[in-house]
Formats: sequence, structure tokens, C-alpha cells
Amino acid sequence: MLIRQISVFLENRNGQFAGIARLLGENNINLRCFTVSESNDFGLARILVDNDDIDRTYNLLKSKSYGVSINNVVYLESGNVPGSMVKAMDKLSEAGIAIEYMYAYAESESSISHIIIRAADNEELADQLISGI
Amino acid sequence: MIWNREIECMPREKMRVLQGEKLKRIVAHAYNNSLFYRRKFDEYGIRPEDISSIDDIVKLPFTVKHDLRDNYPFGMMAVPMSDIIRIHASSGTTGKPIVVGYTEKDLENWSEAVARCLTSFGLDSSDLIQIAYGYGLFTGGLGLHYGVQRIGATVIPAGTGNTVKQLQMMSDFSTSALACTPSYAMYMAEKMNKYDIPVDSLSLRIGIFGAEPWTENMRREIQDKLHIKAYDIYGLTEISGPGVGGECECQNGIHISEDLFYPEIVDPVTLESVGPGQRGELVFTTLDKWGMPMIRYRTRDLTTLNYETCECGRTTVRMGKILGRSDDMLIVRGVNVFPSQVESILLEFPEYEPYFLIEVDRINNTDTFQIQVEVKPEFYTDKINQLVRIKERLTSRIQNVIGIQPEIKIVQPNTIERSTGKSKRAIDHRKFE
Repeated sequence: MLIRQISVFLENRNGQFAGIARLLGENNINLRCFTVSESNDFGLARILVDNDDIDRTYNLLKSKSYGVSINNVVYLESGNVPGSMVKAMDKLSEAGIAIEYMYAYAESESSISHIIIRAADNEELADQLISGI
Repeated sequence: MIWNREIECMPREKMRVLQGEKLKRIVAHAYNNSLFYRRKFDEYGIRPEDISSIDDIVKLPFTVKHDLRDNYPFGMMAVPMSDIIRIHASSGTTGKPIVVGYTEKDLENWSEAVARCLTSFGLDSSDLIQIAYGYGLFTGGLGLHYGVQRIGATVIPAGTGNTVKQLQMMSDFSTSALACTPSYAMYMAEKMNKYDIPVDSLSLRIGIFGAEPWTENMRREIQDKLHIKAYDIYGLTEISGPGVGGECECQNGIHISEDLFYPEIVDPVTLESVGPGQRGELVFTTLDKWGMPMIRYRTRDLTTLNYETCECGRTTVRMGKILGRSDDMLIVRGVNVFPSQVESILLEFPEYEPYFLIEVDRINNTDTFQIQVEVKPEFYTDKINQLVRIKERLTSRIQNVIGIQPEIKIVQPNTIERSTGKSKRAIDHRKFE
């Protein structure tokens, strides 16, 4: 399944991410999952929020002068079954689809892990290949 | 229409001969009648006999604004004060004002130069020209005034301020041309909107705008709002005032009255002449100004000169837009850095906004060179490598052009101060004791 992810540019200075978290909190937006990656002097927060909140979050961040973008990522649910990730990875590499980045999260009351995969390109094909698993 | 076809369309070789003759005369006059120039030329071992053509101008020493301040008020005059019939002054942002003096002939020449500009804007004796530049010591008001009289048009000596009254005059008198700063023209357009004065109820057709730098965007806006053609008129007090040059109907560069005001472009550091079309500091020599001649006066304005014949038929050299001031220049790790260079590089990149802030510091005896820039909102992405690449491309482009490696710092949208005026584009934190 393709889902929409929001990315926010973070300048390299104190309290940048806290500022975003506070903004979303004050506006009753639940951060379901996030990941922060960094280069030498800036970072990028990738954020997942509830479907109904995506556009609102994007517009809110934009109105506060954040550098923000929105894009599709492949979402995959994986049971706690050994080897299920391998299948997905194999499918993608057979099709020659490179992975830009991926991350995963789990919720405590569930035995399911949620995996997010960002293909370097051809997001739709990646989704089709993986959803068959 | 061309006011003085003989001069304005003179073949270039003939112009150079004329300039050479005039240079010989004015250098001899300066040497023989001004203590300032005599001392200066003696110091450089230059005698008037060393000048035989315009090419010899490079032998002459430069004059700078300091010289005018140091000789305040009348120390640079090259005629007795009884021959000076007018003075003007420029306030300057720092220190003492500078004062300039004109003989009768100087004022005639100045009016001639303004008349050429007005004619090239498409004005003639049938026009009513409202002068909304300041009258007084500032050269704008009276400079335009005498030029308008020279072409036989009607002067409306409105002066500055009282916008409502200005608009009333414009409407009652059927003003056909407005002379003022471009920012005042924008302000007038706003007021017209506010008071519901329809543009087409006016007879305005031409704008004569100068005394401050303005952009092509501003020109478009003024033209659209006031339904006029907006022309740039250039000048500086030290060289006479407005009318040193002006655009023609092609709006493609400022034609300089180079039989009166000889322009050169030099490298602001080495002070060597640069090749045709290359950017550098604009230097003027007044070839026919007797009260207070200016020999190789450094304007500090950075621009280019274009010697190709213009589509309008004029052969006079055209000056490009002012690209910045040479005194904005920073020396970083021994390399000259002009903020305007950074600006023009940023304009090459669709990914970046044209705003920036340079910060220079010295840490452990090494200069740091940081440039804050903004990525345009639509270029943000979830791919960190893509942002890194955008940054690296800018880094290497700046390194190639300027010669030192900058530290590019991408800051959030709308962080860098926007200002159309003299915004602070560089901060030097270094302490030199």
C-alpha cells in the first residue's frame, strides 16, 4: 500500500525538532511515527500522521515557514514471521528497484511490524511487487 | 528622436579623437589651475604633455570621494569663485557633505546632456514635465529643470512631497511626463489606487526615473500601474548630476554622453582597465567641466560597458545595470568577494531563492566564508541526498567563480531578510587590530 509521508527540513540548531513536535501537539496532530536523518549540517524529519491529518499538517508546517514536502512511500505490514522481510527485499532487487531508505515501527499491543520503504524511483511498481507477498 | 545626432551617432573612431582632444585640454586646465591636481600629477610624475590621445588616460591617477571631502568645500575648484555660478552638494551617508561647483559653460553642458536623455525618452517641446525631484542642493531638481527648458518643454517644478497635490497637478495640467525616484512613482501609483483616480484620466506617458537603483521587475510594475514607459536616467553629483547617461527607446542600457563624461571600467583591486564587456568599477573623467573637473573619478559602482551600436542608431557607449558597489567588497582568504557575484550565481539556480547572507569570520587565523541561502519551497524533498547534491552544486559553482570554497548553509524558508533597498548582504565579524 502506498501512503503519504511528510518530510520537514531541519536546520542544524537547537530545538528544531522540538519546535515541530510542539506545533503538531498544539494542533492536536498525533505523530504516529517519525525518523530523523542528518547530513553534515542539516537534518530531515520524516513524519507519518493519521490520514485525515496529512494535508492539515503539511499546510500548518508550510505556514510556519518550514521547508516541507509530501511524497508516497510503500507501506508493508509484516507479521513476526522469520524471513518475511527477505522476500520483500528480494522482489525489489530482482526488479532492479533501489531503496533510498527504509524504517520500521511497531505498536506494543500488536504483533505486527510496520515497514516503510522508499524506493529510489518507480514507487508504484515497488508497491505492486511487495503487496503480493 | 535624437537631440544631437552629430555627437550621439558619431563613428567611434571619430569620437575617440574628439575625446583625446578634450582630455588634453581638461588635463592641462586641471594641472594649471587646481592645486589639488597639480600636486597629485606631480606626485605621479605626470605632465599635461604626456597626454596625447584618449588612450593616455590610463597614465592619470584616480580621484576618490575622500578627495572631495578633504577639500571641502571649495578646495577642488579649478576656476576663481567669481566664475562659479552655482553649487550643489550631496549629503552622503557619512561625514561631511561633498560640494561641487559649476561655471556657466558647465551648466550648459549639463543641460545639453539632460536634453539628450529627455529626447531619447521620446520627449519634445510639446511635453509638460512634472519634476518631483528635490529642488535645492540636490542635483535632481535643478538638473532636470534646466534640461527640460533646453528642449523647450514645459517645466512643472513640483518638487518633492505632498502626493495628493502632485496628483492634482498631474490631472489639472495634463502632465505628460513625471520625473522622480522610481520608488516615489510606485508610491504615487498606490495613492492613485487609494483615491480612485483612474490612470487613464491622466495624460502621463513617460517616466524619468533615477537617483536610486531599481530592477526590471520594478520597471514592469511601474509601467503596468501607471500605463507609461519608464526610463532610467543616471548621474552622480561629482560628475554633474542626472543626465550623465540615460536609456533610449530600446531600454537596453544607459547611453552615456561620452563626449562630456568619459567612462572606463577598472578592476577595483588592481585598478587596471578590464576588457570590453567585463565587469568592474565605473570610473568617469569629465572632459568638458571647468569649474571642478573630475579626473578618473572612482564611482564605486560596479557595471559593464557595451560599445556596440544600439538599435536606436546611437553609437555612444551603453552602461549596464549597476551590479553592486565595489566598497561592498570583502577580502576573504586574500580573494575579493563581491556580494553581487553570489547573487548572480544564485540566479543561475532554479532551486534557490535570490536572497542570501554572507558571514565572514576569522577562526584560528583562518577566514571562514559562510553563505546562508534558502531553497525554494517546491524543491524540498524527502531525499536527503538530493538536498546535499543541490548544496554541493552551489558550493562548487561559487568556488569556481569566486575562487574560494564557501560553506553553504541552507536555512528555512523566509529566514533571510527581504528588502529592496540596501539590505545587509554581508556581515564581517573579523576584528582587525
